[in-house]
Amino acid sequence: MSDSKKQFIVIDGNELSFEDGETVLQVAARAEIEIPTLCWDPRLEPAGACRMCLVEVEGARLMQPACSYKAASGMVVRTQTDKVRRNQQFIVALHQADTVQTREEAESNEPSKLWSHADLYGTAGPWPAVEQVRADRPLDDNRFIQYRPEHCILCSLCTRYCDQVEAVSAISLAGRGATTTISTADRVALTDSTCELCGGCVDVCPTGAMSDKPALLWGKPEKELEKVQTTCNFCGVGCQIQLNVDREANRVVKVTAPDPGTTVNDGNTCVKGRFANDFVHHEERLTTPLVRGDDGGLHPATWDEALDRAAQGLIRIAEQHGPDSLAFVSSSRCTGEENYLVQKMARAAFRTHNVHQCAAT
Amino acid sequence: MLPKGASREAVLPLLDDLGGLRPGTSDEVRQRSGVPAADVYGVGTFYSLLREPEAGVRVCQGLSCQLHGCEDLKADLDAAGVANTWASCLGRCDVAPASWDPDAEEPPVTTHLSPDDPDLPLNLSGRDAESYDALRRVRREGPEWLLGELETSGLSGRGGAGFPAHIKWRAIRNQEETERYVVLNADEGEPGTFKDREVMLRRPHLVIEGLAIAAEVLEARDVYLYTRGEFRRAVHAMERAVEEAKTRGDLDDELRWHFVEGHGAYICGEETALLESLEGKRGMPRMKPPFPVEKGFRGKPTLIQNVETIANMTAIVLRGGQWWKDLGATQPGTKLYCMSGHVNKPGVYEAPMGTSMAELLELAGGVDGTLKAFSPGGASSGYLPASKVDVTMDFKSLQEEGCMLGSAGVVVLNETVDMVEAALHQAIFFEYESCGQCSPCRIGTQIVRQTLERYLENRDPAALSHLDEVSWGMEQASICGLGQAASWPLTSAIKYFPGEFGRSA
Repeated sequence: MSDSKKQFIVIDGNELSFEDGETVLQVAARAEIEIPTLCWDPRLEPAGACRMCLVEVEGARLMQPACSYKAASGMVVRTQTDKVRRNQQFIVALHQADTVQTREEAESNEPSKLWSHADLYGTAGPWPAVEQVRADRPLDDNRFIQYRPEHCILCSLCTRYCDQVEAVSAISLAGRGATTTISTADRVALTDSTCELCGGCVDVCPTGAMSDKPALLWGKPEKELEKVQTTCNFCGVGCQIQLNVDREANRVVKVTAPDPGTTVNDGNTCVKGRFANDFVHHEERLTTPLVRGDDGGLHPATWDEALDRAAQGLIRIAEQHGPDSLAFVSSSRCTGEENYLVQKMARAAFRTHNVHQCAAT
Repeated sequence: MLPKGASREAVLPLLDDLGGLRPGTSDEVRQRSGVPAADVYGVGTFYSLLREPEAGVRVCQGLSCQLHGCEDLKADLDAAGVANTWASCLGRCDVAPASWDPDAEEPPVTTHLSPDDPDLPLNLSGRDAESYDALRRVRREGPEWLLGELETSGLSGRGGAGFPAHIKWRAIRNQEETERYVVLNADEGEPGTFKDREVMLRRPHLVIEGLAIAAEVLEARDVYLYTRGEFRRAVHAMERAVEEAKTRGDLDDELRWHFVEGHGAYICGEETALLESLEGKRGMPRMKPPFPVEKGFRGKPTLIQNVETIANMTAIVLRGGQWWKDLGATQPGTKLYCMSGHVNKPGVYEAPMGTSMAELLELAGGVDGTLKAFSPGGASSGYLPASKVDVTMDFKSLQEEGCMLGSAGVVVLNETVDMVEAALHQAIFFEYESCGQCSPCRIGTQIVRQTLERYLENRDPAALSHLDEVSWGMEQASICGLGQAASWPLTSAIKYFPGEFGRSA
């Protein structure tokens, strides 16, 4: 920290210190003062678009968005006034009128932050449903991500995530005013765009408008699934993922990411971690090692049997043809430590430098 | 070398050069600019003139055109098999009902103007000032002298906000950053407003000289003239003026003039949306602070002034700030009032700031029929009833009426007008022109329009029950002035004509 004088801001009567550049929301969060948001994510530049986080700032004519409003020395902020609460109920009611009408429908798959805000902060509605005109992409036949405009609150978390975190920019806000929607260029399928199908848009979406297609087809709401945290085994990074398990069917339905800021992957996954999980329940999935028998066929074996057989084969080749007749290639699914052990085995045990890693080229 | 971000700034001109957004255009622009295709598509679909390249004739449905039978005009075009589409405002309220074919030459407009009077600062009927003596005087006297005169004059923004000009100019001069920009806001799009069009057509040298003075005082090297895409004649007039002045050696050779066309989005008249548009993005207003005087175009200090504001510089310099200030009746200077709707001589009248509505009606040849209500300053200002005809038309008095002078686009309604329909016309405008960024405006404008349409079906006041809360939220929670004011036509119509909305007075 610099040795400059400490600066203070007053939120709901609490004098709180802050660093240059911090927003009211960040300072409030540190003091555990809850300010509701819909379009905010710690990984993204604030958009200030949903207006859920408006607070009163002394001296300002209108309420200001806590997510983007910078703290300044001596600023006095109020988050619990009648006006602030009235606005929160207004914003909830607006979005409820503009999206699917019932909680059951809203949460038929992913949970909806909008409806949980309605529980916590109330709603000025219900108001008559808005005849909304947001375009979808009916011809998008990608297997993993479904955009459902009737659930969308246009918070732009998905488009900002795609741009600012993934640097992919496959989707954008398109159209204007009432017709504003989320679209690829020319409304093509995601698989015909620059999309890498990382599914980050699904993860940041507060209302389930960007949804996991296989999970939609499975049909069970996320809140009825059990989240089991595990380490993704597709590569050595060590991303933490949550398997969403349907216990009744004993099945992994989908993968979600732990909250940003809590694990090494900061809430992000790649396409494999998020969507390549159908092997788990595949009927041809190997569950034990297989060893070739005298009959020429493959037969189930124990790990000891399989490793012994592999060791014997390697030793035999090295003895008959010399160490450099062997080469070792490790899998990109190995960790750094495992890769180290492979080269150790090649060089120290078999005395060859013929060792490589499949992701190294 | 192109400055940083220049490829992004090329997106809108490229889309325009390619004739608007068609399948494949986004990708072509991506290849030429390096901006992702989805992003280009998002930008293209934002602008009316780019997203429907084959829409045909655009028929204006602004309030004045509604009052003069735009529905019939559209029906005639339909019957004749002419491809056409609605436009929310064409800036030709004085020749309502207006239509415009983007593929044809812009037809000239002959409008009513105040008679030639050399004691009017803008004097639209007079000869254009080509001397550039004001610019020479500023060079001679120095920036501090100019800022003093500007402050004395009390000149405030004529685009609608009424912000004192000298505060902006000084704020920019006080910035440490020396890369600064001057931007002309000529994206006149407020229904009922067509004054900037006339200033640019008739007094282009006043506009250019005002901008050159700003660049001189603020030490800017680049001037951007952002003009609405429908005003091609106005752009040509200003381009000619720059050429003439350059040829005569009146302008600094190092000063660069950039003419930028708007692409059909009312919101780009909001200054930070205009900057976004200049930078090749969707015209969505920025969060403020920071304000453009600190971080504007390309994040640098930027002066943005309306055409009428900047055109007054010549008179202020040559005749003095005090002379200019004393022209006003209730507040400094003169004002261009655009009169349209049910008046006999629609046009642009230059009158002392604070002229009463009754006097303005007289200038405009009287009301066509009996005065019922008027909208004093464009769609955003809402309505006042005939009983307020003596109100002085200035920023302060109208604000005290819970209304605003705005751009002084005065639309006059006679006794034949249904105020519910009048509110609906403005609601359609705001719904169409909302940028869609913030929810109070994007959803609120839809609710207002749809509710009024439902109410018109059977006039059941129960249908209107939630509108008070929706209006409150739009005003309190929208990001920019569009959303904050979008419900005023409705709330003012209910306030002054409660009976038409099934409410008791």
